[in-house]
Amino acid sequence: MDRPVIRAFALASAVAVVPISAAAHGLIVFASVDCEAVIVEAKFSNGRVAQKGDVRVLDAENTLLTTLSLQEDGTASVPLSSVDHSGGLLIEVDTGGHDNYWIVTPEDISRKCGS
Amino acid sequence: MRELIVAKLSRSTLLGAILVAGLGHGVMAQDKATVITVNYPLAYIAERLAGEAVDVNFPVPADVDPSFWRPSISDISAVQSADLILLNGAGFASWIDRVSLPRSRLVNTSRTIEDNFIVTESITHSHGDGGEHSHEGLASYTWLDPTLAAAQAEVVAGMMSARGVASDDAVRAALTDLLSDFDALDAEVAAALSSAQGVPMIATHPRYQYLAARYGLSIAFLEWEAGAAPTDEELDELRALMAETGAQVLIWEAAPPAEAAAATEALGMANVVFETLAHAPTDGDFLTAFSASAKALADAASTTPGN
Repeated sequence: MDRPVIRAFALASAVAVVPISAAAHGLIVFASVDCEAVIVEAKFSNGRVAQKGDVRVLDAENTLLTTLSLQEDGTASVPLSSVDHSGGLLIEVDTGGHDNYWIVTPEDISRKCGS
Repeated sequence: MRELIVAKLSRSTLLGAILVAGLGHGVMAQDKATVITVNYPLAYIAERLAGEAVDVNFPVPADVDPSFWRPSISDISAVQSADLILLNGAGFASWIDRVSLPRSRLVNTSRTIEDNFIVTESITHSHGDGGEHSHEGLASYTWLDPTLAAAQAEVVAGMMSARGVASDDAVRAALTDLLSDFDALDAEVAAALSSAQGVPMIATHPRYQYLAARYGLSIAFLEWEAGAAPTDEELDELRALMAETGAQVLIWEAAPPAEAAAATEALGMANVVFETLAHAPTDGDFLTAFSASAKALADAASTTPGN
């Protein structure tokens, strides 16, 4: 559907029509829990897999617990046994040019582990 | 139609994001339901509709832009436990795409007004601790058109009744009153701003697209840092935009620093504050603050040559 477009600065008062895909791409981070591990996925909003990047795992106090590297398929696995996840985990992915995060709550983990 | 809540997620990501426990989550008869909102307008709507029957919580600190709030883990735990989570849609609140939320309790309050959404182009920048980000995709301050806010209120009311978080009769009665208030606000703002139609204006941040569309205003947008004095480069941008548009009215989200006000006045701009209401206003409530801002804007526009 065509929609009016309002562009910030300079031509802001002009109304035109452009597709949403014209917007700049960003990094999308998603993490799921399977009780054994947190599986991190990272891709760009244009659909391209993020093949390189640091995955930082922090606790609820923003203390860095561990840092991993993204694999070529854009994923990383954080074994739950390797980190204190009692207060939840904050997963940050940084590809150098882009970064984003995903929050894993204690409830996310307990739901998956049936406890 | 795009699914706004999870627009940035892939299909597989979407499945992961929504497959969280939500089933069986009901409001115990003796408990007060909890409603979480992503902005103040939705909190105002929820409080008007349900009153004391629910606890309404808008968790974003007052000094943080709710569009770019980065919640803590405990914040998200609280959100996940709420009985209703009121989302604005239109891309508002980027944090909702970075957490697992229980779909059964999510309410996309703008799902009936998607045809009214305004697409914006992307400008990447950064401010504060929020990191670099873009205003891209959709203009998200939908509530600055009271008719759209009213539509969002109808969605909220319907979901409150359906989920049993408040008495159906009470919600219906409250909705009637609220819609009447939104109608009155719309008429009041339209009358106040009728003389401002066609008057070129500039806003320091791109927030007023729906206001402009509703009331026929001509507003160009800058991307200035909220609450900070403009840099020399930013003042140059303002000069260029003034030359391009002929604008002599500058709209701020909040009272500018004295230094900033002086600098823009020196360029011939009339400064005016129009609170966006993403947060609760400094005085009054949604209706009174909106009305006051409209009158202030009308007054500023009336001072420009030819008015």
